[in-house]
Amino acid sequence: MATKKKRAPSAPSDSWVVIAADSAVDPKRRDADPCFVKLKNPRTDTASLYMFGSGDTQLYEVKAFEEDFHSWFIGQTVQHDGRLLFITPLDPLYLLLPYLLHAGKEKFQPLDQLLVDENFPACSRLLSCPCSVQHLAEEKEVGSRKFYRYSQERTLDWLKKKVDRTVVALKKKNISVGEGVKSATYIKVKTESNCREEDYLRYAHGLISEYLSEDLSNALLKHLNLPELTSPKESEPPSKKRKLSDKPVEAGEDYTKFNSADFVRKPPKKMTAAQKTLAKVDKSGMKTMSSFFSPKVKK
Amino acid sequence: MDLGPFEVNNSVSCRLSSQIPSLCLEQDCCLGIDEAGRGPVLGPMVYGICFCPVSKKENLKEMKVADSKTLTEAERENLFEKLDEAKSFIGWALQILSPNTISTSMLQRSKYNLNALSHDTAIGLVQFALDSGVQVKEIFVDTVGPAEKYEEKLSKLFPGITVTVRPKADSLFPVVSAASICAKVARDRVVKGWNFAEELGEVDTDYGSGYPNDPKTKAWLLKYLDPVFGYPQFVRFSWSTAQTLMENKSAAVHWDDDEEGGEKGAQRLNNKSMLSYFSSASGAAQSQTAAHRFFSDRRLKNIDTL
Repeated sequence: MATKKKRAPSAPSDSWVVIAADSAVDPKRRDADPCFVKLKNPRTDTASLYMFGSGDTQLYEVKAFEEDFHSWFIGQTVQHDGRLLFITPLDPLYLLLPYLLHAGKEKFQPLDQLLVDENFPACSRLLSCPCSVQHLAEEKEVGSRKFYRYSQERTLDWLKKKVDRTVVALKKKNISVGEGVKSATYIKVKTESNCREEDYLRYAHGLISEYLSEDLSNALLKHLNLPELTSPKESEPPSKKRKLSDKPVEAGEDYTKFNSADFVRKPPKKMTAAQKTLAKVDKSGMKTMSSFFSPKVKK
Repeated sequence: MDLGPFEVNNSVSCRLSSQIPSLCLEQDCCLGIDEAGRGPVLGPMVYGICFCPVSKKENLKEMKVADSKTLTEAERENLFEKLDEAKSFIGWALQILSPNTISTSMLQRSKYNLNALSHDTAIGLVQFALDSGVQVKEIFVDTVGPAEKYEEKLSKLFPGITVTVRPKADSLFPVVSAASICAKVARDRVVKGWNFAEELGEVDTDYGSGYPNDPKTKAWLLKYLDPVFGYPQFVRFSWSTAQTLMENKSAAVHWDDDEEGGEKGAQRLNNKSMLSYFSSASGAAQSQTAAHRFFSDRRLKNIDTL
């Protein structure tokens, strides 16, 4: 096989493969062409790509599927990147939230004053998306103008609802949330009837946190009454030397159960996919691994 | 010889065979195996078997069959006609391994090398003869790889049959010569009348012998190299001649089972150095910025430019 070829750095291509919600394109309104914009990502504070559709009344986020060794054949052309863009509706409140938070709890302000950002001038277009800011803030009406002040309490209640809804969606879509299933193939080893409610909550919290600052994510974790996960540092394996205790040594498990008859009746284990492919390899002319360890035969 | 079944779809392997002479069903038979087109970068590899009753060996000798390499194309065609006419006691069968079959076998994830492919094809043809009721008692084969090992392998597979594996068997045993003539004639005909599945328009058929060292073949390979697709299915992609040309002249294609140098490969894949796992501080910092596993599992990420 060809080896050590230099990979060209992925050059920006002039076409993309996109899966978008139908609502993103409104064929009846020519002025409502969807438009990609850079906005502040609420989690990282850096620029991410979003899209306004239907004359700025609907916000979408852009996610890219990107994996090594993929390319597209499009019509009679080849596209180097195998990237697939997903354009999915996003609640504009997530993007409004950092601006409200930033303004603080001091005074009430009108939204158009809050949404000023020289790094992301397009953020003022969020104003034309219909959304209920009172989920995040207290509202005051003076004359015809509305003024808002960030409320952590309201925000956390709103986020909790989001988490609950996400849990419902996760269950409906049958998404594996347990810690044990991290297989890239998404094939569940066993049906997850033993999946705990907490696993769903934690998973949903993690998903929602993709749209929150770290501080807010932690606050939400507390609000949901989920204990913080122990950091890997604390779960490090104990050092080899254990202190001897005075207590008598006892078996931690009942090993006798393996002697029972039904243990014998267990069907032979099926091979995993990896073992199967290994078994298929052309092994002609290969030495077995064990042959390298056996003592040399004197001739 | 009707090549029709192969020409219908020349991207796969195909078996052609003569009628089984009734004499071969009753009497002890000898069977010869040989192949044509092992070395060329173009066209199929053809495996042939020829069989006849042991008692008719002399008749075969009288037909002056000889190693196909020592004969001209016209002589081979002539001899094949004679063999085909002697259908009362001579039978043959062929397995045409298309260049595409060879490419895909040798280049698949779990490599299937040419020797293994050859052995399996030969075994398949012998089994075909046995399944058809031919009373095979002796097998003569030109060797592929070490003769002793091959002989042992075949003897084990076909107990009760005397297997003789010899280098240059095609010049030693008339029945192997006959098989080699059948194989060679089939290969020549297939190569001459190759139906290109690709839309290449009027194809220049002046590709010489098809062997990698033939200047005509090389010139043809250069002419028909496509920067994206490489070659038509007529070319064996697994041959280093074809690979070197593709590497130098066409767009680089990367597969996820490419063997890359350890360090470089790791860098490209953005792998973490083993050492990084031992410093706990950086690990904790990274987990904060990593996307949730719903997204990372699905290889989904935010982008900032199109």
